[in-house]
Amino acid sequence: MSTVLEMPKRRDVLAVVLIVLPWTLLITVWHRSAVAPMLAIPKERPVVRQQRPADDRSEVQHEMAIAPVTSKERCSPERDIVEVVRTEYVYTRPPPWSDTLPTIHVVTPTYGRPVQRAELTRLANTLLHVPNLHWILVEDAARPTALVGRLLRNTGLNYTHLSVETPRGYKSRADARDPRIPRGTVQRNLALRWLRETLGSNSTQRGVVYFADDDNTYSLELFEEMRSTRTVSVWPVAFVGGLRFESPRVNAAGKVYGWKTVFDPHRPFAIDMAGFAVNLRLILLRPQAYFKLRGVKGGYQESSLLRELVTLSDLEPKAANCTKVLVWHTRTEKPVLVNEGKKGFTDPNVEI
Amino acid sequence: MRLRFKLKTVFILYFTVSLLGLMYALMHLGQHCECSEHDMTKDRTISRLLGKLHSLQGHTKKEPTKPHLPTIYVITPTYARLVQKAELTRLSQTFLHVPQLHWIVVEDSSQRTDLVSHFLEHSGLVFTHLHIPTPQDRKLQEGDPNWLKPRGVEQRNEGLRWLRENIWVGEAAEGAVYFADDDNTYSLQLFEEMRWTQRVSVWPVGLVGGMRYEGPVVEQGRVVRFHTGWRPSRPFPLDMAGFAISLRLVLRNPEARFDGNSPMGFVESSFLQGLVTMEELEPKAEMCTKVLVWHTRTEKPKMKREEALQAQGLGSDSKVEV
Repeated sequence: MSTVLEMPKRRDVLAVVLIVLPWTLLITVWHRSAVAPMLAIPKERPVVRQQRPADDRSEVQHEMAIAPVTSKERCSPERDIVEVVRTEYVYTRPPPWSDTLPTIHVVTPTYGRPVQRAELTRLANTLLHVPNLHWILVEDAARPTALVGRLLRNTGLNYTHLSVETPRGYKSRADARDPRIPRGTVQRNLALRWLRETLGSNSTQRGVVYFADDDNTYSLELFEEMRSTRTVSVWPVAFVGGLRFESPRVNAAGKVYGWKTVFDPHRPFAIDMAGFAVNLRLILLRPQAYFKLRGVKGGYQESSLLRELVTLSDLEPKAANCTKVLVWHTRTEKPVLVNEGKKGFTDPNVEI
Repeated sequence: MRLRFKLKTVFILYFTVSLLGLMYALMHLGQHCECSEHDMTKDRTISRLLGKLHSLQGHTKKEPTKPHLPTIYVITPTYARLVQKAELTRLSQTFLHVPQLHWIVVEDSSQRTDLVSHFLEHSGLVFTHLHIPTPQDRKLQEGDPNWLKPRGVEQRNEGLRWLRENIWVGEAAEGAVYFADDDNTYSLQLFEEMRWTQRVSVWPVGLVGGMRYEGPVVEQGRVVRFHTGWRPSRPFPLDMAGFAISLRLVLRNPEARFDGNSPMGFVESSFLQGLVTMEELEPKAEMCTKVLVWHTRTEKPKMKREEALQAQGLGSDSKVEV
């Protein structure tokens, strides 16, 4: 009797082992391949630069270097700074173009004023770190200016230089901060039109469109967050609406259901221009979607575009479910040029 | 009998499930996979590894030894305010492009703040994090115009002190020291211009002194006077961002520092006087005809609504770092 019972037991055990073993192996292997790439992200930011002719993207000369690891202060003279020799050129080039990363099309309206070149210079220094970036700079001018053209060429960025002058009736007066006349609208619409005309509605290119004003501050993390946008993604923005930051309200299921703002939180999309990005396909599929020019109340400009593209429930919250601030709505002071006097004291040929 | 039956069922179940799984995988073989995030990180890893590979290949090739690049020591005084993190962020994005740069950040604080510490650790730059508080009587009070008292004096002096204590004069002390405020704008070319400073090099600064730009006037390769809209009789009517001093000069003159008690606009002169004469200045930026740095200032963000909310206890989440 006992032998009859024992053998089936052993068979049982064998059977169970044979069943469980391959599944555990499978699950382990699957887990490792899914998690490992995430773990492999290094702490330091790799700056991969290469020398290449500014216009030729296909020719890649291999001269790359990597940023040094940070050093802790108060070390002995034998500091463990890991430094890599860099090639010595003045202007760096953007990271090499990748065939798998979606392109980020950054639309920046700009206008001539004393701080313009400074603003564009530091914005370019930021954008030079972002791979697969296409900068669409739209000037508020009748023709593209030489100042901006030269700046763009010198940066080595992948860019498109457009210009359109805001019609007289909509231009805000020199010093007036009149919120009823949204600045940059005509320029942003031109960029949208350019994208639609250049790429066509059947384009299979993967991309994201982001509206970046030239005086804000952007962290590099922001661009990587927005790259995976499928419809419209949103995140908090600092220093808007009279608050430390404004952000979307996200529920436990990861869906946006409202807006954490004081200024008119009942707007369809109570968000700043810098707080969202749109998938390129959505822009191309809805060719009638533009920013509204006429009759837009202050703060409703973003809604005028977004309501044609997406509903609240389709929004994708980024920046750790909208808990981190990755973009700041900084504004630059207007410089005091009182000593220039009426005739201008400094040499007007010196470009500032 | 019962046992065998149970086993058979288990095996049948097992094989059915595996078969279904296989069919599912086969069906999804040709379709677009939602693994863009994986691709991106893999891609980044690949670019990084490629870069390492090429730099290593470069080392093994026979090359003429490149001249060692002198280090640029950038001293930035900073203080806590709403826009601090934003300013430091965009400043670091510029510095990341400059080779051989050592950033010395000096906080106006009695201790190192978490915000700046974390920021520097993740910036990717070579840095030194110092701190020294400004004495109360030298601090600007609420409502004071920003030109009333010179700012950052103690912090810059602290940066100089650190350099003198930690860099040995004998150690082929090549390099330049530059005082970069955290709200100015710097072009990349500026750093290459200042890198080879022998004594003190100078260049124009945009948007300062109430003018489009302010700077030295150069004739026949030498600085002859200064173009400025305000008190041109100062020994060195320059802005802090308009000059760089060689490391050697800093180390060999341990007494040279900024004088916080000097009258308005004379802080730079208080440092440079005794170190160099106008004739010895090295003009950069194409004989001081190009503007490569701008004295931008960032507006203080309007917080009226925030303050109103905080009075009600409903302010934005203070745990979120801005």
